Amino acid sequence: MKKEDIGTGIGLLILSTWLFWYVGRYRVKEIYGYGPDFFPRVLAVMMAVLGLSLIINALLGSSLKMGDRIDPKGFVRLLISIVICIGYLFLTKLLGFATATFVFLFILMTFLKQKGLFMRLCSCLGTALTVWAIFRYFLIIPLPEGWLF
Amino acid sequence: MQFDLLLAAFGKVMLDPINFFFVFIGVTSGIIVGVLPGLTATMGVALLIPFTFGLDPVRGLIMLLGLFSGGIYGGSISAILIGVPGTPSAAATVLDGHVMGKRGLAGKAIGMATIASFFGGTTGALIMTFLSPQIAKIALKFGPPEFFALAFFGLGIIITVSGKSILKGLISGVFGLMITTIGFDPLSGCPRLTFGSLELLGGITFIPALIGLFGYSQVFQGIEKILTLPFVKSELKNVIPKLKEIKGVIKTMVKSALMGTFIGAVPGTGCDIAAFVSYGEARRSSKYPEKFGTGILEGVAAPEAGNNGATGGAMIPMLTLGVPGDAVTAVLMGALTIHNFQPGPLLFRDHPEVVYPIFAGMILAQFVMLGVGLGGARFFASIINIDRRILTPIIFLLCVVGSYVMRFSFFDVGVSLIIGIIAYFMNYYGFPGSPILLALILGPMVEQNMRRSLIISHGDPLIFVTRPISAAFIFIGIFIMITSYYRIKRAMEREGKKDLMAEKEKVD
Repeated sequence: MKKEDIGTGIGLLILSTWLFWYVGRYRVKEIYGYGPDFFPRVLAVMMAVLGLSLIINALLGSSLKMGDRIDPKGFVRLLISIVICIGYLFLTKLLGFATATFVFLFILMTFLKQKGLFMRLCSCLGTALTVWAIFRYFLIIPLPEGWLF
Repeated sequence: MQFDLLLAAFGKVMLDPINFFFVFIGVTSGIIVGVLPGLTATMGVALLIPFTFGLDPVRGLIMLLGLFSGGIYGGSISAILIGVPGTPSAAATVLDGHVMGKRGLAGKAIGMATIASFFGGTTGALIMTFLSPQIAKIALKFGPPEFFALAFFGLGIIITVSGKSILKGLISGVFGLMITTIGFDPLSGCPRLTFGSLELLGGITFIPALIGLFGYSQVFQGIEKILTLPFVKSELKNVIPKLKEIKGVIKTMVKSALMGTFIGAVPGTGCDIAAFVSYGEARRSSKYPEKFGTGILEGVAAPEAGNNGATGGAMIPMLTLGVPGDAVTAVLMGALTIHNFQPGPLLFRDHPEVVYPIFAGMILAQFVMLGVGLGGARFFASIINIDRRILTPIIFLLCVVGSYVMRFSFFDVGVSLIIGIIAYFMNYYGFPGSPILLALILGPMVEQNMRRSLIISHGDPLIFVTRPISAAFIFIGIFIMITSYYRIKRAMEREGKKDLMAEKEKVD
């Protein structure tokens, strides 16, 4: 993964330069200069050195071989799942935790091509109600409540 | 050692059925997590922590300890049945356990793994109980330079948990340390890197970060591969081993349990190394080493006694010095902190009411694990057959809930998701997640004590090497880093040679 390592190394160099510059604003006149900017700056220097080492390592041909690669179709599936999750977070505020959780699980399982509607319904309902009941009645921790529950 | 407190704690924990119930829940959840390949004990503990918020701290903590022990043991079930270790620490168990499984002796192998895990776990827990208070007494004399040196020593573990690339492990570690600088500066109170966000003033909360690193990242990989992963079915018969068979491996179990405990007590080693070293030693000292790998009970007992012995061992540096022995104990350390108990020598002085029940809980967990393991082996074996398309969304949900309930904050869920996405890409590009976890735990300790020490010494960095305990930690830390570096390098060279040979064979 030579290209990936060089790209990451450049990104780390940019990040560390930015951090070194940005934390300068936290400089306060403390004794011996070990103020709030001291540790982040030490880390920025360390990260710059490591980023540079990663680039040199890659240029010398010592990068690791790329193992498992990201499956493009699987990655799209992952992105859609994250969108479903974000939708779930909004839905929780509207419908309440238990109802939104049931909807979220059902949509996600259907999207992941789970066969067997009865099994899917049972596992979604069972999980949503169990988690809701554990937090509400056993741990007495409030979860979001909306129009329903 | 305050024996009166210890006995009272044992009485309190062992005789209370509610404690027993929580340990049972922890052990059972741990075995389930351990059985499922891809889910680690670290992830299990991270996901269970939010369920301890509303509980009495001792009950919550012993439940997590149950999960830790159960998780390490549970990995052996899938290792034996399907040849895929449920957790990395069960990798050595595959060698003989799966061969036994293929010969129709899976039940016997799982029974032996359960007994060896119980034996190893109990040995580790007893050594932890009697050794920890002595170490804590010495650690009470520490000042800022010693604590900095200790944290430095702890960060040295990054090299050993770096996987194939030490450089990438170090980058992950420094990235984790950078994350710890977000929020109020611990000494001056100045807000740093918050970009005007009120939610970031307190820094990145530990549990959401943890769930992002070990929960979401694995769920994301699971979703990506869900349609391409093969389905493996498992079956199981006759679990209880005969007394004669247990007697035959007792020497191996004793040796492996002791070795596992002491290996686990060295920060940065962990249960997987303990299992392999125990297996290697059992094979080396055996009268019939050639039989190892062909499916013998000693080949199952040795790694299982070793890895469960390491659970107690790994708790020793975490409880006494505040330095986690491995990734799971790092998460457990976070759990203690969340319940307002700072692991380290002061914990023994200020909160004996928590420390001693932890010892008792760890021992209770071993007995529960023995019962649940032998009684429920068939049930746990059937868990491997659960449809991933049902299981993955449920774990996804637990990640969302876990990251939310810490502060009832959707912001934390967002942070957790972002960290999960970063960790998902890091996995692919060879950057390990464990160094970030260690950095999140030890970062504040490093910064505060480094700055305090430098202020005390008027800016002279020699303060860290002129005080004997501090110097000892720094030199031992450097020694461990160097030896770990060479160990990993040798392992990589061996792996490289194997790859070359495999390629040659392909060409031929």
